[in-house]
Amino acid sequence: MLDILSLLDITFFLLAALGALVGIIFGAIPGMTATMAVAVCLPLTYALGLHHGLALLLGLYVGGISGGMVPAVLLNIPGTPSSITTTFDGYPMAQRGEGERALRVCVVASVVGGLVSAAILFLFAPLLAEFSIKFSYVEKFLIILLALTVIASMSRNMLVGIFSGVLGIWLSLIGTYSISDGGNGKTRLMFDFLEPYLFEGFSLLPVLIGIFGIATILLEAEQGVKSGLSGKEIKIGKGGGFSFGIFRGRLTNLVRSSFIGTFVGMLPGVGGSAASVLAYTQEKNLSRDSSEMGKGAPQGLIASESANNALTGGALIPLLSLGIPGDSTTAVLIGAFTLQGIQVGPLFIPENADTWYVMMTALVFANGVMFFLMFYAIKHIAKVVLVPKYILYPIIVMMCVVGAYAINYGIMFDVWTLLIFGVLGYLIQKVGLEVAPLIIGFILGGQAEVYFVKSLESFGGYSIFFTKSPIAVVLWALIAASVTFSVVMGLKSHAKRRLETSQ
Amino acid sequence: MESGLTSLFSVSIDFETSHLFFPRIIHWLMGGLFALILVLRVLPFFAAVRRGERTLPILGESMDKYRFFGSLALIAAYFYLMAVVGNLFPYTGYGFLSVSIVFVFLMSLMYMHTRTRRKVVTAAINAVVAPSLAWFILAKLFQITLP
Repeated sequence: MLDILSLLDITFFLLAALGALVGIIFGAIPGMTATMAVAVCLPLTYALGLHHGLALLLGLYVGGISGGMVPAVLLNIPGTPSSITTTFDGYPMAQRGEGERALRVCVVASVVGGLVSAAILFLFAPLLAEFSIKFSYVEKFLIILLALTVIASMSRNMLVGIFSGVLGIWLSLIGTYSISDGGNGKTRLMFDFLEPYLFEGFSLLPVLIGIFGIATILLEAEQGVKSGLSGKEIKIGKGGGFSFGIFRGRLTNLVRSSFIGTFVGMLPGVGGSAASVLAYTQEKNLSRDSSEMGKGAPQGLIASESANNALTGGALIPLLSLGIPGDSTTAVLIGAFTLQGIQVGPLFIPENADTWYVMMTALVFANGVMFFLMFYAIKHIAKVVLVPKYILYPIIVMMCVVGAYAINYGIMFDVWTLLIFGVLGYLIQKVGLEVAPLIIGFILGGQAEVYFVKSLESFGGYSIFFTKSPIAVVLWALIAASVTFSVVMGLKSHAKRRLETSQ
Repeated sequence: MESGLTSLFSVSIDFETSHLFFPRIIHWLMGGLFALILVLRVLPFFAAVRRGERTLPILGESMDKYRFFGSLALIAAYFYLMAVVGNLFPYTGYGFLSVSIVFVFLMSLMYMHTRTRRKVVTAAINAVVAPSLAWFILAKLFQITLP
């Protein structure tokens, strides 16, 4: 225990606090997300070392998810996708001059959500990891298959979701079938003249930064980079009006939403908006009096914000126990681990106990910093939403370049990868494909291949995927359940639409 | 029966071509899914476009052509010139620094809707300060390689 304390120096806490602050600023700027904050700040972690780097990144993650509440309440624009439901009640409150009160309710709900999910992460991730250590290639492959079907079933359209995921896998296969994974070291899916550049395939981080950074800029540029905010007036309202009495009788809501957020966060690739929407509708269905919801009721804010902050802990569970990212931000975090030469998976927690405790400390501390910063300095932070985009966007492109270039110690092709995937990310979103499944497919594709081919090579037949162990059967049942769920939901919404058009 | 089933599912992978085994499956999967999407989603969509109910993505939408293609061209030029200038001063990061200052300033100007003196001056200061700060922190303090 003592050697862990020695890892926690002043720099560590300063970095976590700095991360939270920068994250809040990123989250507060509409169009910029926690994922982008983590991706853009990755180059800073090259020189920091693992523990300091993680402190910064986890701070960014917590801050980025929280910051989204600011424009949601003040401008009716969700700063991050997960604060969509915060706008329902936050904006009406701000219109009534209760902006600060609304924000403080959000802050308290956020910190509770964050801490509840951190506690669940702390208790649950080691158990899940211990359980999954025994998994052979067969179960590992099935877990990846399950992850992909869950993502696909959460997409707007399952078919499109699956296709996006498979496309991501395809992109990840470009390059060699690596000898270190037991492959034969030959390249595939490319032309010979590309071999010097693509021998190892596309690097993960430039792909992520391109899709989340450059593509976002291109989408904004297409819309003309509207300043948009100048016409709107920010109504923060007078101080005061907030007391913890607002939370009286709301404890069930708070805890339920935190659990919903954590659980949704655990599902791989399911974004934050699903968590807050689910928590919000549950509060609407289950609370005694939901008549005020949507017109400016604190209970809506509580549900939305505690759920979206609970995502942070939830999304880290599959990352740290299975090596499968729970959302796009944790997908970028995988990159940070790879950078430090650490493989996340079932063995991560037992083999890196120090790092595990350090991460938990950073997570809890970042939540605390986020609370104090936002609770007491919310008036000043609120001004961030007014920073003009023409100042911000060029800086973001520049930081993207730094991140991509430095990742493999100075390879210019990685910078071009940014542009390739920036344009690809733009096109993908334009033609209606889904980014989340594509990214998860890209991250897990390489492993999926190794597990799949190795299973077949050692057992000699496809039937092994069904008969290997009881766990395999359970995993198939879960896969079937997630597919059935999404088919049923799809049919339901189809029938509903048909009913609406016939009326 | 048992052996029949097993042989149906059994497979042997030739090591020499094992790098193509999984991609081949993915290709078939992609092809199948694409065909399904084509029939179930794309064709109905095109029909709706022809009836005038929907518009084509990108082509049929209004877009700010100047800023979109401007951004693309500027970013491409930025990446290209960074390497060219960087090769003149290897391992110093000066290529990154100088080209970034120009890029940040030009992109700011392009994204500005109304150009007032005040705004242009702010953008100019930002264009000098931000890359210099990034260059100093990363290249000097942290010793990270920059072009």
